[in-house]
Amino acid sequence: MKVLPSRPDFEADPALARGPAPAMIEIDRVSQTFRTSGRQAHLALSDISLTIEDGAFVSILGPSGCGKSTLLYIVGGFVSPTEGVARVKGRAITGPGPDRGPVFQEFALFPWKTVLGNVMYGPRQQGVKSPEAEAQSRRLIEMVGLKGFENFYPKELSGGMKQRVALARTLAYHPAVLLMDEPFGALDAHTRTRLQNDLLNIWERDRKTVLFVTHSVDEAVFLSDKVVVMTRAPGRIKQIIDIELPRPRRRAELLLDPRYQKYVVEIERMIDDTSEDGLRP
Amino acid sequence: MNARALTSEVLLGIVPIALALAVWQGISSFGYAPVTLLPPPGLVFSRLAQQLGTSTFQYEIASTLFRLFAGFSIAVIMGVGIGLAAAASPAVNAVVRPIVRVLAPLPKVALYPALLLLLGFGHESKITLVAADALFPILLSTYYGASMVEQKLIWSAMAAGTPRRQILFKVVLPAAVPSILTGCRIGLVISCIVVFLAEMISSTDGLGHMLVTAARTFQAVDMFVPLITISLLGLILNGLLQGLRSYLLRGFPEV
Repeated sequence: MKVLPSRPDFEADPALARGPAPAMIEIDRVSQTFRTSGRQAHLALSDISLTIEDGAFVSILGPSGCGKSTLLYIVGGFVSPTEGVARVKGRAITGPGPDRGPVFQEFALFPWKTVLGNVMYGPRQQGVKSPEAEAQSRRLIEMVGLKGFENFYPKELSGGMKQRVALARTLAYHPAVLLMDEPFGALDAHTRTRLQNDLLNIWERDRKTVLFVTHSVDEAVFLSDKVVVMTRAPGRIKQIIDIELPRPRRRAELLLDPRYQKYVVEIERMIDDTSEDGLRP
Repeated sequence: MNARALTSEVLLGIVPIALALAVWQGISSFGYAPVTLLPPPGLVFSRLAQQLGTSTFQYEIASTLFRLFAGFSIAVIMGVGIGLAAAASPAVNAVVRPIVRVLAPLPKVALYPALLLLLGFGHESKITLVAADALFPILLSTYYGASMVEQKLIWSAMAAGTPRRQILFKVVLPAAVPSILTGCRIGLVISCIVVFLAEMISSTDGLGHMLVTAARTFQAVDMFVPLITISLLGLILNGLLQGLRSYLLRGFPEV
């Protein structure tokens, strides 16, 4: 993958560029204000700066209403920040693009298309010829475990299956970054665990950069290299925790690992603190 | 829905129709109305069966159907076109919204005398009236359907590389199809009513004209034949639209 240097000194010294992992996403002093119906300005995000390296799995964790989804939409190019700038591979983000693929909690599948039609949509938009797009899409559908469901419509699938289709649809146009907005939030606990495992398996293969929004501490620690904890509105970064657990991660081993348990407890405490902060006037 | 439930639903639906026919038959059998003024259903249906074979009657049906389809098609094309444009562009919406508010509540039949003077007694005036009446339900339901499209469907398509100007046809239009078809269904019923009405007011052919001619000459049986015909036509057309609907909406959740 070609990564544009984000700073000129990388260009000047190639040895330095190989040193630290290059930044895939840079969020530079981003703030977001919404106008509410009462013409009041609501500050959703306040002065967020965050750098995400290529190939990192980063979770954003915070209480509901902390603007974590808004931050994801800004990186997706769906929302423009009121202040500051977000960059992908060094270029300022001005709109959505196939280098950043979203997966939403609501699945957002096209109801008029079959599973195959949904997955083929991206490659076809990218100008891939139909037979080739179909072959690629069939392989992806098999990879997410839905072989045999190619001609089903989304309404005929369960929630977990729909989210698998949504993941395949996004992976089909080879985004450099996956933007996942509480993707497993609408699923039952069992399905959720299975999808977390499958997501990790898929991620281990090509190590895409993932920005993953969630309100589940377990999920964030289990999946991520880094967990960004945010405060309640206005959303600020409270702390960034590096999760130094070995990969590939196995759920059964991890749950017994005291380091995992320590991370979970530590982050849960941190979130309790932020909730109390929010209650103060 | 399984086949048995569907059958029982159809049977239940037939009951009130059978009751209405029974009441009609009863009124004329028990002498509440003279047979010359209210002929029994059997007489009307056998007359209809006999008429269906004649070329003159077929010609009347063809004229009515032609006007109905032409008017309805114009209404669908204009309604979907304007509705989509208004949903996509605030400027178009600003232009369309006031004129729709002024024209929608207007009884379009009131325009008919003017249309007759402008377009004559032939097809044009009737087609225009049908189109004008069927337009608004289709336009409004298209507009609302297109405005309500889930934002994240649009985002998903844009992230996959769909340019902004193609979003309207690749996402908004297909996502609005359920709502558009609901508007079309209302528009179709209105078209049936209006084409008949226009032919009754002033025409040289068509089912409505048949009815008026028969009424003026006290031919009670011939008066009821076009009436039954238009409701049967409406039933068939609605069935066809329903078939099209279940084909087009095969992927959408049941409404």
